[in-house]
Amino acid sequence: MTPPAAGGAATRADAPLERKQVVSAARSVILVGNPNVGKSVVFGALTGKYVTVSNYPGTTVEVTRGSATLNGRSWHVMDTPGTNNLLPMSEDEQATRDILLEERDYVAVQVCDAKNLRRGLLLAAQLAEARVPFVLALNMADEAAARGIHIDERRLAEALGVDVVATVAIQRTGLATLAEKLPDARPSRFQPRYDDHIEAALAEIEPMLPSRGGIGRRALAVMALVGDESLRGHLAAALSGPDLALIDGVRRRLAARYPESLRFVISKQRLAAVDRLHDAVLTRGDRSAASTFARRLGAWSTHPVLGVPVLAAVLWACYEFVGVFGAKTAVDFLENKVFYDRLVPWSAGLVRWIVPSGAVQEFLVGPAGVPFREHSGFLVGKYGILSMGLSYGMAIVLPIVTTFFIAFSLLEDSGYLPRLAVMVNRVFKFMGLNGKAVLPMVLGLGCDTMATMTARIMETRKERVIVTLLLALGVPCSAQLAVIFAMLAGVSPAATAWFAAAILLVLFLVGWLAARVIPGRGSDFMLELPPIRLPQAGNVAVKTLARIEWYLREALPLFVLGTLILWGLDRVHGIALLERAAAPVVVGMLDLPKEAASAFILGFLRRDYAAAGLFMHYEPFMKAGTMTREMNIEVTVALVTITLFIPCIANFFMILKERGWKTGAAIAVFILPFSVGVGAAVNLLMRRFY
Amino acid sequence: MPAVVARKERCPLCGNRFDAEGQGCRPSCPLATGCKVICCPACGYSFPQETGLAGRLRRLLDRGRASEETR
Repeated sequence: MTPPAAGGAATRADAPLERKQVVSAARSVILVGNPNVGKSVVFGALTGKYVTVSNYPGTTVEVTRGSATLNGRSWHVMDTPGTNNLLPMSEDEQATRDILLEERDYVAVQVCDAKNLRRGLLLAAQLAEARVPFVLALNMADEAAARGIHIDERRLAEALGVDVVATVAIQRTGLATLAEKLPDARPSRFQPRYDDHIEAALAEIEPMLPSRGGIGRRALAVMALVGDESLRGHLAAALSGPDLALIDGVRRRLAARYPESLRFVISKQRLAAVDRLHDAVLTRGDRSAASTFARRLGAWSTHPVLGVPVLAAVLWACYEFVGVFGAKTAVDFLENKVFYDRLVPWSAGLVRWIVPSGAVQEFLVGPAGVPFREHSGFLVGKYGILSMGLSYGMAIVLPIVTTFFIAFSLLEDSGYLPRLAVMVNRVFKFMGLNGKAVLPMVLGLGCDTMATMTARIMETRKERVIVTLLLALGVPCSAQLAVIFAMLAGVSPAATAWFAAAILLVLFLVGWLAARVIPGRGSDFMLELPPIRLPQAGNVAVKTLARIEWYLREALPLFVLGTLILWGLDRVHGIALLERAAAPVVVGMLDLPKEAASAFILGFLRRDYAAAGLFMHYEPFMKAGTMTREMNIEVTVALVTITLFIPCIANFFMILKERGWKTGAAIAVFILPFSVGVGAAVNLLMRRFY
Repeated sequence: MPAVVARKERCPLCGNRFDAEGQGCRPSCPLATGCKVICCPACGYSFPQETGLAGRLRRLLDRGRASEETR
């Protein structure tokens, strides 16, 4: 390691005690570890006040350096950004990997959170593979013990072949022992073995790789095999063109053997080795049964076969919570008890009391004695801001999306969501679709507009256009998905199956077509799968609240705007005109009531608003359980059409800005007849076979 | 412009830690003003930043946890 030059202002005799300085030292130690494991506390305890903080060259990543005297010896100490992987996925992780690669003659201290040994061992396995001499500090040992976690340090030290020290850095416990062990730091003998094909490829390219630097050849060979782009510069500086081409050839041949990316395959096999070690050295007290079940559940949820019933159970739970509790119980209470029984009549009464009778009063709340759904009052009326705009937003969609956001936050906090992404990714990869293209689609479930923007990560324009089209066509945003759950809870299971089959068929069809058009293999995608755990109420509350705030800020103004448009159209008899104009499609092709035309207009503002309009139309029958065969068909056809319908206004503008107006217009021109065509086809088929 | 607070965020999906600055919706979205949704640069997952009421609740919970741990 090359410490910064000593001297200058930092070493002047009159320097105050707090002045940051680093002295030269004979030996160097680098602190590495996963994020939030207490590295900085260990660093502070070792170095005291004398530190410098600087950006790692060429990055914005901060690296802290200091000096320490340990057992009479002077050490240069460097704290690195938290990392989970020596195959970097972020600038922080690359900085840590580059420090280990570029520095010379150092030892490392891996600080590991004893409560999350598995994650720490994954990094330890990579340090072992890299032949980095290190000591393992099991930090927060007191918290682990309090949670009933017991780690057999002696057995772990034997298996790794390095010293293992339990520490509680915040109390400085174990740090003296850690300092004592530093001079004896040595490379670990723990070497994860990969399958024969990977081992053969490693054996082929290992001798070509440079032996210089702090990372051993085997680890460099693994990085080269997975095609780590951040390593390309280092390799190009050390290898000849033919050698680089040879490595690329080996990598391509090996990659062709696996359906998944090499990064995924290698990480999975390394994880299996780490899991065996983890299970051999870690025991849990009274929580062992629960943790064993959680581990099994985690494994089932990504299993190609067992994952399907787990997914079905999750969907069923969401459907019951969102569709039955949210859409029936909560909506019924807010819509009828709060809005229509109290808020709307109270507001109308208040306006009549404040505003003297006459034209202004009638304009705002309609003529006295006439039910509000039969007049055109501005605040309270058929298309009133309060009785329609706010009641749609607050009494119908809000309880539905709130229950959906709670369900979503539970999935996020339980650790299931990353596993769901793995499952879905597998399905799309089976179709041959580029993995990089799949991600913005699958993850566009939050906000399609944002997902359209992330299509920028595609390499070619053609890929970006196709991903944008798929997003606009078939991926509902979270709010729309919530209302879909609510609508499906009111129709028969067979109608739900028709809806699911139609949407999945369309997605598979466009996915298959996209796979024919998008060339190349799937790009690498790495997910750290956290352990399955019981969601924490506090986390779920914060995540749900953040989503509700976002939803209210974005959706409510558009609900009000949509209502204003309808109110304006109604005043000039435009709605009747529109319904007549749309009748050949809405009534003729889709066999829907003519009022559904308004829902499609609103769908351009927000698709959940459109679905809310339909929900209002069929809600009395759903609640009474009197949905006829005809109505089941109508709801299914309307939902299919609206799901595939032209994107909301925000997404449409984003498409125009991102892809240009010609492409944007072309996408709209394709989607409009396509969505109606699929809806009409579902209508015909259901009337014959449902 | 998006109401994203410049700070380190951890992606709830892939675990990647990233700087939230510049990861909000671009001005090309007509609803970008005040939008708190950020996008993980590694996996593309989008989620609203915990600011405003949610941020206050998070700080309150964190303070409660910290005082519990020091006891």
